[in-house]
Amino acid sequence: MRPAPFSYHKAERLDQALALLAEFGEDARPIAGGQSLVPMMNLRLARPSHLVDINALDLDTIELRSDHLHIGALVRHERYARESLIAQHFPAFAEGVEWIGHPTIRRRGTLGGSISHADPTAELPALCVLLGAEIIAQSAEGSRRIPAAEFFISAYVTSLEAGEMVTGIDLPLPKGKSSGAFEEFAERSGDFAIISAGVTLEHDGRAITDARVVWSGVDLAPVMAERAGDLLRGKPLSAPEAEAAAQAMSAGITPLDDPMASAEFRHSLIVELTQRALTRACEKAMQAS
Amino acid sequence: MNAPIPNLSKRQIGARVQRFEDTRLMSGAAKYIADITLPDMLHLSFVRSQVAHAKILEVDTSMLEDLDYPVQVFTGKDTDGLSLKANQDLPGVQRSEQPLLALDRLRFVGDPAAVVLADDPYLAEDAAELVFIDFDPLPVVATMEQALAEDTTPLFDGWTGNKFVERQMKGGDLEAARAQAAHVIRRTYRNQRQTGVPMEGRGVIADYDKGTRVLTLWSSTQMPHLVRTYICEELGLPESRIRVIAPDVGGGFGVKGQVFADEVLIAWLAIQTGRPVKWVEDRRENLIASIHARDHEHTLEAYVSAEGRLLGLKADISTDVGAYSTFPFTAGGDPGMAAKVMPGPYDFQAYEATFRALATNKCPLGTYRGVGRPSAVFSQERLMDVIAQEIGMDPIEFRLKNVVKEFPYKNVLGFTYDPGSYEESLLKMRELLAEDIKAAEASKASPDSRIGVGIACFIEQTAHGTGDFTKRRSPIETGYISARVEMSTDGEVLIGLGLQSHGQGLETTCAQVAADALGVGPQRVFVRHGDTLTSPYSVGTWGSRGGPLGGGAVHIAANKIADKLRLIAAHILQVADPATIQLDENRASVIGDPARFVPIPELARAALRNVDRLPEGMTPGLTEEFSLDGPKDGTYANAVHAAIVEIDVKTGKMKLRRFVVVEDCGTILNPMIVDGQVRGGVVQGIGSAIMEHMIYDEEGQPLTTTFADYLMPLATEMPEIDVHHIETPTPLTPLGAKGLGEGGAIGPPAAIANAVANALGVEVEATPLNAQAIWRLAKATRSEG
Amino acid sequence: MSKTTITANGQTKNLSLEPRRLLADVLREDFRLSGVHIGCAHGACGACTVHVDGVPRLSCLTFAVQCDGAEINTVESLGGDDAHHLLQRAFREEHGLQCGYCTPGFLMTMAPYVEEMAAQDRMPEDAEIRHAMSGNICRCTGYQSIVAAVRLAITQRRNGESTQ
Repeated sequence: MRPAPFSYHKAERLDQALALLAEFGEDARPIAGGQSLVPMMNLRLARPSHLVDINALDLDTIELRSDHLHIGALVRHERYARESLIAQHFPAFAEGVEWIGHPTIRRRGTLGGSISHADPTAELPALCVLLGAEIIAQSAEGSRRIPAAEFFISAYVTSLEAGEMVTGIDLPLPKGKSSGAFEEFAERSGDFAIISAGVTLEHDGRAITDARVVWSGVDLAPVMAERAGDLLRGKPLSAPEAEAAAQAMSAGITPLDDPMASAEFRHSLIVELTQRALTRACEKAMQAS
Repeated sequence: MNAPIPNLSKRQIGARVQRFEDTRLMSGAAKYIADITLPDMLHLSFVRSQVAHAKILEVDTSMLEDLDYPVQVFTGKDTDGLSLKANQDLPGVQRSEQPLLALDRLRFVGDPAAVVLADDPYLAEDAAELVFIDFDPLPVVATMEQALAEDTTPLFDGWTGNKFVERQMKGGDLEAARAQAAHVIRRTYRNQRQTGVPMEGRGVIADYDKGTRVLTLWSSTQMPHLVRTYICEELGLPESRIRVIAPDVGGGFGVKGQVFADEVLIAWLAIQTGRPVKWVEDRRENLIASIHARDHEHTLEAYVSAEGRLLGLKADISTDVGAYSTFPFTAGGDPGMAAKVMPGPYDFQAYEATFRALATNKCPLGTYRGVGRPSAVFSQERLMDVIAQEIGMDPIEFRLKNVVKEFPYKNVLGFTYDPGSYEESLLKMRELLAEDIKAAEASKASPDSRIGVGIACFIEQTAHGTGDFTKRRSPIETGYISARVEMSTDGEVLIGLGLQSHGQGLETTCAQVAADALGVGPQRVFVRHGDTLTSPYSVGTWGSRGGPLGGGAVHIAANKIADKLRLIAAHILQVADPATIQLDENRASVIGDPARFVPIPELARAALRNVDRLPEGMTPGLTEEFSLDGPKDGTYANAVHAAIVEIDVKTGKMKLRRFVVVEDCGTILNPMIVDGQVRGGVVQGIGSAIMEHMIYDEEGQPLTTTFADYLMPLATEMPEIDVHHIETPTPLTPLGAKGLGEGGAIGPPAAIANAVANALGVEVEATPLNAQAIWRLAKATRSEG
Repeated sequence: MSKTTITANGQTKNLSLEPRRLLADVLREDFRLSGVHIGCAHGACGACTVHVDGVPRLSCLTFAVQCDGAEINTVESLGGDDAHHLLQRAFREEHGLQCGYCTPGFLMTMAPYVEEMAAQDRMPEDAEIRHAMSGNICRCTGYQSIVAAVRLAITQRRNGESTQ
């Protein structure tokens, strides 16, 4: 269990990194924390011929930029909890990232790495879809912004093209009053989820005005609950009828079925976790109002 | 049986002595197999089967010719005729061999068909990817059901069906028991396949010295002498010229308690290539191709009187033992153990067990902490709860009514149980659980969260001697442990111990034992082990025999030296009766007159150098050796385990609130180490109970091949383990000690299953009790709510 | 081959390395620091944890070439040949190890945690301690004695005992 050979390139600046990625195309992978990529390389399930080390790049800012919060690709997971901007504007994100990995992994792993790796049950892809994030992909040709819902295609497959790398994400700030929560179910702490459910609400202090719900572990990429807004709009925060809404929005969903968790079990978790996340999001909203 | 318990001084024995091995293990100075490097060493990488069952057409090594670095490759054709043979010599056994490298057939995913040797491990791994096994698929035997099917494809030529062995054990009159029974209760129970996962995988290094014709083999093994003997017999080398060294070993738990085909293969390769050869198992290999465990299915039928007395038990035991029979305990070892121990701590006199080992296209099954007992206790103790429920008795009360109370007790199979504390430990546990039982009852009204309490009451046959192994007619043959104790001129003590210590702290406990005998501080005792050159012949560390037999052998050998020291001291001090000399605090002094003494180093020097000071006719020297066989039926440790669980009914999430152990391993040599063994065993048992699962698909492909899929207990999920001791010393071992290494792992599957059943008011028939399983079990509870 | 300068436990070496070589292997082979143990080689057991510029890092998920100019510390530097670091002494006292294979990883993961808690002058709940060690697998102890050792070390640090 040692990696196949590769060439190593350490980029000092973004343009250098992009030039290297352009030069080597499909054969190159950027490496940041390496907490997802290197296990795959050691198992020889990933065999890039070129690794472009981007750790020295200046991509670790977290800042408010007009109507959104920007999080750089090199922000390490342990940092989210220390950023008051995240806790203040994105409670579901703040909760969700608490479920990522173990302490040593969290100190090293990065936002960009986790998103690019696109594990189907990882927290960050689900949170990006939930919060309507735009993923910023750059290449030597320029930059493009990919809505999270279009970015995650399948397990370990994204819409990144050869020569492109994620440089950060932009999370649109909630327009009015908002709340959110995230629930996850895993066999052990730090494991990838069997099911997770993230909820964001907009509200007027009394009732829900809009809602989004995203699940992971349902399919090979995060899944948005299509009817979440319709089902929850107008429901009072004090009695959101969470169970009925969770049942209704998951009706017709056929989750993954494997030896670790059957479709039926996953479906039951979807309902239960969605209900719990909704209930808590409403409680938080009432406390804040 | 009624021999008096020796009057131990217990100055060191029983003391909480910190471990001597800890310093090197914590400073980075320990030497595990991967840390050993030799000049000019070749690194080995296996080419393993990626299919479960196939006929080999060709092993194509031609792509290696184009490499720009040197490699050597060996296939099954090169090792043809060499194999691992592990057969019981009994009727009902089909014989088999495991070739060192697969020659004509691949029998499981991970079965090695070739090896590549290179100067660097990275290069060896690169090259191994270039060897292709061309094959024709054969029908895969992926389950026990398929192994038992009429049309099953036998795994070995000349076989009928896929049973390695099917036999019976019986005692008493089962028909009479059935006729008397007011209740006949029948259930089927299942334990999943798992693996032991020592944190250090296996590894082997071999080096052949052409000059002396000595083969030195380093292996991360629990049984260096047995490895030596097998290599001698299979390769035809003189055993005197084979040295096997187990360096620091990073956990074994039974996984490393077998002789492996690769140990023989690597010895052979070192001779063939004339260079040292090193193989360090990687984690994927460890998970798919070292040794698996459990995988039992039992159907039990109990006959119970109207008053709640167990009258008889009938058992049908199947074990999926995978593709090959392992050495020396064989394919029949695990199901045979389950059949043997199924009567447990209960007093009844009619029993019949049919047990079978089934061959499937999976990794071979071998010994793992508990060997058959965790599965047997799971079935037995689930059944006891079911019976109690059926006849309307409290489960502890029902056990109290049925446990053996008078010792020695001859059980239904003729095994004699030495004194234990079966009843006392149940009573103690009942006291400890009073609050938990109340909390569980109170939770029954909750639709969301339920608390459950479950117990497992069991005995463990430990330190069994040659008589037990002779009956099995398997290659293990015997079970003794030897120790050589030697005092040098400075009064320091060297012990050559036939055990291999890989976490059990034997360097400390055996030093404690010798220290008490010799009157020196334990820090003056250096325990060497795991090297056939420095340790006398022994079977190795397994079967919970380290304390009772290893400690016992040290005790006897050290006392022989102590006797000699007393004779010399009496002579020097001009005391008539050596029995009036006591050895303590590094002195030999006259009892009652401590001012008259000789320092022990002075006595040692007299024995070894100033031999003119010895009594007339005494032979010089201070070396004694003793080989201690276990009692024929072993000595029976006993314990009661209790799990207190809390279940989220909606999701199936289970929290272990608390785990309680009341155990009796006889004389405690070092309480700190005993508690450590118990707690560590319990956590492995919790892993067996709730998460560890080696999953194969219907094609025989293993699905849990990394630590992301094969889940083991982490600190976050494990409860506090509350350990209580009752000390009933056995008259059958020199120190009164019973074995305890495995016991911790035996009770948890049963205790947790009983707790889940109690919490949810359902029957629990299988492990692992992971979230999905609990969620399924909680279905009825959810619909109430 | 990449030219790489690495300092491990104060010893600096200029190495010419194949990029794919894991930091764990380079520490073990080029620096002969065999206290760096490889337990899984896929980042799931914590046995290979070392400090890179003072921060615990999995050396099986790090390529040595990425550590050009870095200061590495391994368990060998924690308390010397006598393993006399406060946390090592606490492990000995509480029987926090059995086979010892995972132990260097636990020590390197938890030594900074002990310092962090001492700096905050705070005794964490057991659950927090367990969470802090959740990336490390121990197969022998059942974890309880490791938790006890960490608690003991934090207590002693808060009482002003030095780590050495």
